[in-house]
Amino acid sequence: METFTHILNGFVVCMQPINLWYTFLGVLMGTIIGVLPGIGPSAGIALLIPITYGMNPTSALIMLCGIYYGAKYGGSTTAILIRTPGEAASVMTSIDGYEMARKGRAGAALAVSAIGSFIAGTIGVIGLTLFAVPLASMALKFGPAEYFTLMLFAMTAVSTLTGESPAKGVIATIFGLIIATIGIDLQSGQARYTMGIPEFQDGVGFVVVVVGLFAMAEVFRGLEDIYRGTSAEAMKITGKLWLTKEEWKRSIGPIWRGGIIGFVIGVLPGAGGTIASIMSYTTEKRLSKHPEEFGHGAIEGVAGPESANNSDTAGALVPLLTLGVPGGGATAVMLGAFIMYGVQPGPLLFQNRPDLVWGLINSMYVGNIMLVILNLPLIGLFVRLLYIPVGILYPLIVAISVIGAYAINGSTVDLWLILGFGVVGYIFGKLDIPVAPLVLSLVLGGIMEQSFRQAMTISGGDLKIFYNSGITVSLLVMSVISIALPFVMPMLRKLGSKGDES
Amino acid sequence: MADRIILACTLVLAGVYFWATAQIPSLELGDPLGPKAFPRMLGVGLLLGAAMLLAEIIRNTAKAKLTAEQGGESTEPKWDRHHWLVVAIAVWTAIYIVIFEPLGFILSTAIYLMALTAYFNRNRWLMNVLTSVLFAVISYFMFTKLLGVNLPPGILPF
Repeated sequence: METFTHILNGFVVCMQPINLWYTFLGVLMGTIIGVLPGIGPSAGIALLIPITYGMNPTSALIMLCGIYYGAKYGGSTTAILIRTPGEAASVMTSIDGYEMARKGRAGAALAVSAIGSFIAGTIGVIGLTLFAVPLASMALKFGPAEYFTLMLFAMTAVSTLTGESPAKGVIATIFGLIIATIGIDLQSGQARYTMGIPEFQDGVGFVVVVVGLFAMAEVFRGLEDIYRGTSAEAMKITGKLWLTKEEWKRSIGPIWRGGIIGFVIGVLPGAGGTIASIMSYTTEKRLSKHPEEFGHGAIEGVAGPESANNSDTAGALVPLLTLGVPGGGATAVMLGAFIMYGVQPGPLLFQNRPDLVWGLINSMYVGNIMLVILNLPLIGLFVRLLYIPVGILYPLIVAISVIGAYAINGSTVDLWLILGFGVVGYIFGKLDIPVAPLVLSLVLGGIMEQSFRQAMTISGGDLKIFYNSGITVSLLVMSVISIALPFVMPMLRKLGSKGDES
Repeated sequence: MADRIILACTLVLAGVYFWATAQIPSLELGDPLGPKAFPRMLGVGLLLGAAMLLAEIIRNTAKAKLTAEQGGESTEPKWDRHHWLVVAIAVWTAIYIVIFEPLGFILSTAIYLMALTAYFNRNRWLMNVLTSVLFAVISYFMFTKLLGVNLPPGILPF
């Protein structure tokens, strides 16, 4: 009953004019960020943190969250009209969406992604509303040992599930943790790995790392593409921005299924929007009566993945808000934002700041309505963004990144860091090393070390505390499985196929 | 080949990190672990990652041999010839950072943008110069006067 009052009160918070304004600003910027190549939601959120510093945390978080789910809407536009996903998770949409656009059905493809995103996005927020309180009350019993093993599981899952090579994911994760150890150790007051640079005493901020790895590296890649002449031209919107009865009938099933798949995948650590949309695509292809149309402009191939991709964002907020442990790169950046505003997400937040939590969650219902308006009747405005010459756009992204990084401390050390991490991100991209695990472990690193040491202090230096409770044991087992699975799976498959032959 | 470079870099990083950890003076007061225990675990984790990568390299070489024997194409990515371009952009951005505070935001940003757009958005001089100058001036006043973000004024009087 109390929860119900909190939820209702959350609607009062999110309907305040100031918060409606920030929801609108967030989803508007999210759509722009999603449409434009070069800056993704992670870099967009990171760049805004220093500028919104000192704002009231509820409004600031509502806006940053709006960028996060707004970017997913915008990403599909670029995928459909240029065949390059404006945002990584829209990669499946670029297959059938672009084919539809070539056949003169760009309007229908854009309409079905906006409507699907709206329905599935709302399914996701309903799921978030329902699951948040039970999970948060379970997490109230968590001690430092439980938190340590939970973070360990989130990191192992992310490192082995993103990218082709689990080994590279593990190396990227540890690299992020190593960066997190730079600075003054909170328990002993001892400076570690500062190399005599005073700015490093407070550690390497995650904002500069994210801006470098996501925005600057993308600029390098984009400018390289221009030089090679591989940049693509945008198509014009053709056909009416609505669905025929037949198309509507074919899309509704994929939208519902995509919405549920996306939410479930989103809650689990590691997988994220890209895997959710791939799973939805393969599901629809298997269920379809005409699978041969997939890849040649099947509307189900746009409706399903685009819906999955949008309910995934709400799902990904479940572990972040209830446990305080994100399961991927973008939510890790959100956690960093929460902490910078002095808000610690987790079970206690639901008790201490129900106005903030429910104001934020409920603002997503409102934001989804705003997004469907921005992305359907007003889509023509955003498509114009695609006609900005990329040769101007990418240099401007560098200048914007420089402003954002300089705004943190007013120090050029942060500018050198975004350049350095930009180069690192570019090289990582060329070598197929995923960067999302690095960001996750960088944000979690400090908390992870603290909870490890607290647990050891409680137990008097006995490691037994990590396998004393059912929760820690099952989390440890799941961590080991997620590391071992990519290595064991091929062997099992080999055994299976040998069995078939004999 | 690329994977072998990553393996070598990972091992070097692990070595440097173990060495740097040993340099931290220990003051173990009340805290049973001290500031060095967690970093040591990370060093071990890095070695574990390197071992996993080695296993993948061995598996992939075996696979590559198999496809080569069957007359298949090599999956090894070709080393790109355009990497010098990225080096040039990085150096130009480094120069931008060096002149950022002495010359100030407006001048350094306008110079940085004009050169980059002149190269990547060729033959559209008017458009490039206008965007570079207008972006530098408008963003300077928007961030310093409206949003309270400090940007260096440099040699310009405002």
